[in-house]
Parts: sequence; C-alpha cells; structure tokens
Amino acid sequence: MIAPHRLSVKFFFEELSIDVEDFIPVFHRWIRENVVPNELLLDVADYKHIVDGPAILLVGHEADYVVDLTDAKPGLMYVRKRDAGSDLSEALGTTLSQALNGVKLTESDVELKGKLKLRTDAATIVLLDRLNYANAANGDGADTAAAAALSQISDNLAPIFGDDTTVTRVANDPREPLTFELSAPSAPDVDTLLSQLGSAD
Amino acid sequence: MSNIGWKDVLADEMPDDLAHEIDIFEGQMELMGQAKLDEKVFAETRLRRGVYGQRYDNGQRHDGFESRELAFDEKDRVKGPDTLWHAPGMQRIKVPGGGLTPDQLDMLAQVADEYSDGILHVTTRQDFQLHFVHIEDTPDMMRRLAAVGITTREACGNSVRNVTCCHLAGVCQTEVFDATPYSEAYAQFLLGHDDVQDFGRKFKPAFSGCEAEACGLVMMHDMGYLAQIKEVDGKPKRGFKVFVGGGLGTVPHQAKVLSEFTPEEEILPQTQAVARVFARLGEKRNRNRARIKFLVAKLGIEEFRRLVDEERKTLPHDDRWTAYLDTLPHYEEKPTRPPTFLNGQVHSFEFNQWLETNVYDQRQEGYSVVTVNLPLGDLTSQQSWELADIARKYVGDNIRTTVEQNIVLRWVSDADLPALYEELRAIGLGDPGAGTIVDITACPGTDTCKLGIASSRGLAGELRTQLTAKSASLPDAIKDLKIKISGCFNSCGQHHVSDIGFFGNSRRSGNFKMPHFQVILGGKWRDNAGSYGLAVGAVPSKTVPEVVDTITSRYVEERTKGETFQEWIGRIGKKEARSIIQPFMNLPAFEQQPEFFSDWGDPRVFSLGDIGIGECAGEVVSLFSMEISPAESEAFEAQIALDEDDPARAESLAYSSMLKAARALVRTQFLDVGDSPDRIVEEFKSRFFDTELFFDQYAKGKFGQYLLDRHSNPNPDPDNDSARRLIEEALLFIEATHACESKVGGNVLVEI
Repeated sequence: MIAPHRLSVKFFFEELSIDVEDFIPVFHRWIRENVVPNELLLDVADYKHIVDGPAILLVGHEADYVVDLTDAKPGLMYVRKRDAGSDLSEALGTTLSQALNGVKLTESDVELKGKLKLRTDAATIVLLDRLNYANAANGDGADTAAAAALSQISDNLAPIFGDDTTVTRVANDPREPLTFELSAPSAPDVDTLLSQLGSAD
Repeated sequence: MSNIGWKDVLADEMPDDLAHEIDIFEGQMELMGQAKLDEKVFAETRLRRGVYGQRYDNGQRHDGFESRELAFDEKDRVKGPDTLWHAPGMQRIKVPGGGLTPDQLDMLAQVADEYSDGILHVTTRQDFQLHFVHIEDTPDMMRRLAAVGITTREACGNSVRNVTCCHLAGVCQTEVFDATPYSEAYAQFLLGHDDVQDFGRKFKPAFSGCEAEACGLVMMHDMGYLAQIKEVDGKPKRGFKVFVGGGLGTVPHQAKVLSEFTPEEEILPQTQAVARVFARLGEKRNRNRARIKFLVAKLGIEEFRRLVDEERKTLPHDDRWTAYLDTLPHYEEKPTRPPTFLNGQVHSFEFNQWLETNVYDQRQEGYSVVTVNLPLGDLTSQQSWELADIARKYVGDNIRTTVEQNIVLRWVSDADLPALYEELRAIGLGDPGAGTIVDITACPGTDTCKLGIASSRGLAGELRTQLTAKSASLPDAIKDLKIKISGCFNSCGQHHVSDIGFFGNSRRSGNFKMPHFQVILGGKWRDNAGSYGLAVGAVPSKTVPEVVDTITSRYVEERTKGETFQEWIGRIGKKEARSIIQPFMNLPAFEQQPEFFSDWGDPRVFSLGDIGIGECAGEVVSLFSMEISPAESEAFEAQIALDEDDPARAESLAYSSMLKAARALVRTQFLDVGDSPDRIVEEFKSRFFDTELFFDQYAKGKFGQYLLDRHSNPNPDPDNDSARRLIEEALLFIEATHACESKVGGNVLVEI
C-alpha cells in the first residue's frame, strides 16, 4: 500500500502538571541542540490561544511535534510530513519509532522530567491523505483503501504492542482524514517498544 | 490508488482556465528544478500564485546565541533569490470580498491539515494564509482549491491583490447601496488582465458602501471606491467616489480623490486607465517608492487625473466593462431561514455579552450578522469544517472574512441566535468582544514573516489574555478602542488606523538588542480609515501591557464628556502623549532585567539576525520575462505529452507555446494585442518578421517562419514525428524570441 502523504501518531498524557507554554523554551532548546536524530528542526509555533487544538508546535522539515489538546485529550502528536518510506508499512514504522522517540525525549527532558507522563497503551493514528486513503463511509465499497489500511496497521502493530492490541477505525466525519485508534492494554514501555521496532538509540 | 493524482481526480471539477494555469505553474516548477528558469522570474511567478517565502527560508536561523545554518537538502536549489527550495513557505489564498461558501471552507480546512500545520489564518485583507507549506505541495493544493472555485492567482507579487469589500455590504444599516457585486465584477475583470501585469509593486483596491463607517477603509488603499448615488436627468444614478494613492507602509498616505463621481459603467475602464498609467510611469527600480501613492504624490492628483483621462480615451472597448451591470438587478443573497425575532426570553449572561458585541442587526428585519471572533485570526481545520456545518444550518453560503481577522455569518434568523451561540461555543468559537479592545489585530510578525522585527502575535496574544481577564471591569470609554499591531514598520497589522497602534522595532542596551514597539496613538478606523495616528515613542516590548493600561487610564481620567480617544490625543498633543509613555522608555541593562531581552512567546535572546529580504515587494522583472515563462512551460508540457504518446496534445501545446512567446514579444511594443491567434501572428509578422527584427544573423527568418507556417497550415492529425518536429521548432522559436527581445531592448512602449 502506498505511503500516505502525511501520517500522524498521537500518544496521550497520563499526567501533565505544567502549562503548555512551558514547552516553548524546551522546543527552542531542542532546535538549538539538534536533539532529534535524522530530522531537521526549524521553529516553534505558538497556538495556545486556540481552544481545543494544536497548542504548541515544534515545526520540522520532515516532521512536526505537536502538544495537542484536540478533543480535550492532551497528547504529544508526531506528524510525519515527508520521507517516511515507500509504502504504508514503512511509513508507519518510521512514524511510530520517531513518535516514540519524541515521547522518550519529552519524558526525559531536563526541564520536563517528572512533570508529565505519556501513555503507550493508546494512540491515535491518522492518515492525512484524502487522495489515496479517503475517509469514505464504512461498507459502501468506497472504503477499500481504508479497510486495507486498517488491516495493515493492525498486522504491523500487534507484534509490537502486544497480542491484545486492537486497532479500530474512528467513525468520524468523511471530511476528516482517515483515523484509527490503537488500544493496547498490555503495551510495554517506550524503550521496549523502540527496541521491538528496532530503533532504540 | 497509486499513479492517479489530484490533477486526474479533479479534472472535471476545475474550471479549465484555472486548471491550465496550475499546469503551467507546475511546469515552471519543473523548469526551475532543472535550472532552466531565472530565479527572479520564478520568484515573481510563484508570488503571483500566492506562494510566498517565510522566515528562515534563506537557511539561517538565530537560536538566541548565534545564527546557525539549517541543514536543508540541496542547498544550491532555490525558488528565488536567497530562498531555498526545500524551506517551507506561506501560501496566501485570495478570497475576493471575503465571500466564502461552506464547501470552500471545508476545502480550506482539508488543504490546511494535509499541506500546512492545520491552522487557517485570516489576514487583514480578507485572505487566508497557510504556513509551513512545501512548494512541491502547492500545485495539488491549488487544484483542490480550484475545484471549489478558489484561485490563488495574484495573491502576492506585483499584482492586483485581493479586492476587499465591507463584510456588512448588502445588509448594512447605513450603506448607500451594496458594493459587493461591483467588487466581485472588479476582481474578476482584473484577475490576470494584461494591463495589470507590469506594475513595479502591488496594488490594493477596496470597496465601501458608507462614508462614515470604517467599512472598506478606502482612504488607505491604492484605489478605493465609495458608493454614491447622484441624480442624473432626474433619475438616481449609481456610481462611486473614487480614491487613489492611499496606503500605509513606512510612509502612510491618505488617498486623494480621483473622481467625485464615476458612474457605474465607467469604474472598470477608469481602473484600467489607472493601471496603464501606473504601469507606464510608476517606479520600477526602487521598490521603496514603487507604490502608486508615490506616483500620485510626485505628479500631483490633477496631473495624475489628466493622464488617466487621456489614457481612458485610448482604451479599446471591452464588453466586460458593462456586461455585469445587466446581472445587478438579480443580485441577491438568499437566507437559509425565514426572518424571526428574539422574543423576550431570559438568556444567560454569557449570551447577552456575546449578543452585545458580536451581533449586528441587519437592515433586513429579523436577521443579524454574527461575528465569529477568531483569536489572532486563527482557526483549526477541525473548527473550520464544524463552522462550515454551522453555516450550512443557519446561513448557507453567506460567510465572509473580515479585515479585522474574523469571520461573519450573515443572514442569521434572529430566533436562531441562542442556539447558534451555543454551537459556536461548543467548537471554541463563541468568544464575545468582537470589534472591542480585546479583539486585537496583528500581522504574522516574527512568527513567520521574513521582515518581522518583533513578535506582533506574541504581544497581541498577551494583551488579549490580560484584557479579557479584566474585561468585566474595563471602563465603557475604552471597551471599543482598537488595538492593532505590526511586527515592523510595513503596517500589515494596520497600526496607523487604530486608537492604539504598535509596530515592532528594536533598541540597543549595552551589548544586547531589546525588542521594542513604537507607540502610535489616535489613528481613526472609522470614516474609512479617516486619519493616521501619531508616533509618540518606542517602548520595550515587555512593557506594552502596562503602557496600554497607563494610556487608557489617563484617557478615562481626563476625557471630557463624549470626547473620543482621537479627540483626546489631538487635544493633549504629541508632546504630552509622549510624556505618558516616557517612564517606560528607559532601558534596563541585561543583568537587571534579562526578560526584557526576549520577546513575547519566544524565549530566545532577542536578535535581528533572522530578518531577511521581504517578498512583499515582489521581484522587479520585465513584463516580457513574466510572459515568456508560461511559453517555456507549455513547450515543456508538450514534451511530456509526447512522452505520454499524445501527439495531438503535444502539437497543440507546442503551437500554443509559440503563440505565447510571440505575444510576449509583441506586447513589448503593443499592449493591446489581445489573445486572438490571428491578431498575435499578424502583429508579430508586421512588427518583427517583416521588419527583420526577429531575424537571426545566420538563420535569417527561419525561426519566425516556423510560427507563420504552423499558423497558416495547421496539421489536423499530427503523428509523433510531426509533433516532435513542431516541439523542436517551438523551442527554437522561443529562443529566438529571447534573442530578439534582448536585441530590441524590450519594454519600450512605442504605441498604445
């Protein structure tokens, strides 16, 4: 299956005892110290004035890291914008490993450590590509790509997140991008997940 | 699912002309990738498609300690002078008069989340802007927008920018008549018009229906139109008072009256005449003096008027000047619901507060305009399609953006207001305070603009937060004051026409620079931006909230009954106004107050190291260079068509590319050649071929003959060989056109 134009993975905060604007100096430092391997970080965008949306963005060339408050579910969202891989499977692997790296960086950051925790037992996966992965209605024949993507994502994630992992398609508005929810009650910690993905640093 | 692109999927949904223009732009991108296009020509080409540069796109960024290189791939590859190909940029999307349908809003939301950062930003010219966009994504983005009737053409560059119109036009209590259909016809007429392709700088028009309101802000525009009705032969006649040469920027100018009354049938030809005068006599080399305001000031309005009147007499007739007038009697907006009234039910405090500031009683009984107050002009993709659904339910297609960076829903049936309010609140768009002191306008500033000096959005966000927190206790006298902020002196935040305006600058303290804002007091928003404020001094950025408090407190204490803020500033004078902010003008040392040396929302130690060369001014390239570029792109497309085994299309594109090149050359001497192939070839032949100007030293007239032959003997059934031959001939013809233009000197207007 073709790699989507963009792909995002959002992990949710279990604890967050700081204001979102506290991420601004952290992200600026990340740019200065070039902390993310293989990615070019460019700038920080402050959208904290928007209710229920992306609050603070670390904008990169290949990907964005977003402190996202959408649907009142605060989390760290990784949006892969380019060079993710040649097919969906590879793109998912790249995106997931970099998203988990982002989680690890955030939790271990010198200014953030102990002030937040991200869960690995749930995530939202979005295929931002309405051309190749239209969010057509379930069961009407137009959602072949969506069904195939669901199957592919499930197959890829179960070995990593555990046997009880389920991936379900979110029945959202067809104008929204194709969205899946990952539930993995027995998901291991970030390091183990990265190790299983083969991308531990 | 693999090789099919948006171009194929949307082929039947895009208007042919828009689809073709986008193909040409994509072809120009290909040529640029192959280094076959001059970087300045490509820069102006992309600007005219709304594809703009953004901060750090020169590959440098100051991290608070030092300026560092951003390691983009292919650093030799550029999309304009000092602008790296791979650096993300801004896409400006034109929305004439701010008019939008829910379907268009849906599409804007979709392209925002697939190609930018998921945020739609409304500008002070009723446009949308998307940021952090990769240039490779722009053709498909344009196609998707074209499929819903939106073009990005001439959104930037030295062109006619978005035509703005009062967001209340048509429903206003005080307007003379609805200026909307005129502004629409005007935007359509000028889009891509031959006479607006050779300006030295941008050109911003606006339409107003009322003289005394802010309305379309015609006094600060390059050209402004104020609706008027005059009695002619005992009958009321529609027309416009026409203004020219206004503008903000570094040197603000109030517009001059070009005509006290231009009848409706004359506004398009008169504008065309103005465009020709501006193109011919306006400054082209010094971009700082290239706006039409400088030409009007230099010539004087009487001489400028005379030149325009003379020019008008030479214009060849165009049916489009008046064709749209026949449709005016049928122009109407259709409400979705019947008129109703808010009965005397008791509503919540929050609703009443919102009702007071965000709802305007339409002239049409039973209907209101609701302002959706967007913080800093931003809304998310998700909010956008939710808002589109709300619009579908309550107002249908009657959505407009505003120059105060908000969105209005028109034709809301009054009894729907409480439910509408709840639905807006549920999506985070139910803030009250529209048009009041908390509804602050700000340009992008240092967030994304290459020219930004200080953080206008950071400051606006801070002021909004602080003022909202105490809005309940704010004295009535200051509740409706306007605060507008620009990140530099270029006035994109329109600081000159606010009660309290700011523009970013900097001052040195010791070895460090400190972000500052120049304070501008007493500008007038009403009366179509009736007067500009006084610059009274610069204060450190971090003191601005306190400065606002101090100024507004003094005003509340000292104002006489009914005295406006402008009147008060006028009464106390610049010296006294400066004394109010004087205590804030002292600069602490870095060691004393290090927080003063970083900007709002940006913890980096302040620096001017990120300021680049702005693209607002566009690139000054010749008209010929701009017009030959699409010819080259079509010749390139012809080769692709041949590779795809489509000789008929290849042959047709090759011929079309020759015509475009010939037309570009002819227009260096004769602007009015038009689009007819017969006319283009005839003019090319008489001016360049028969005179042997086109002749090569050795090949003589061979290359020109290619066009003459193809034009007089079209091949009804080309095969691959004949198509390939014509493509080669087209490439040689285009090269010869370049050579001829260089030889003759181009851009010499010998005949109008």
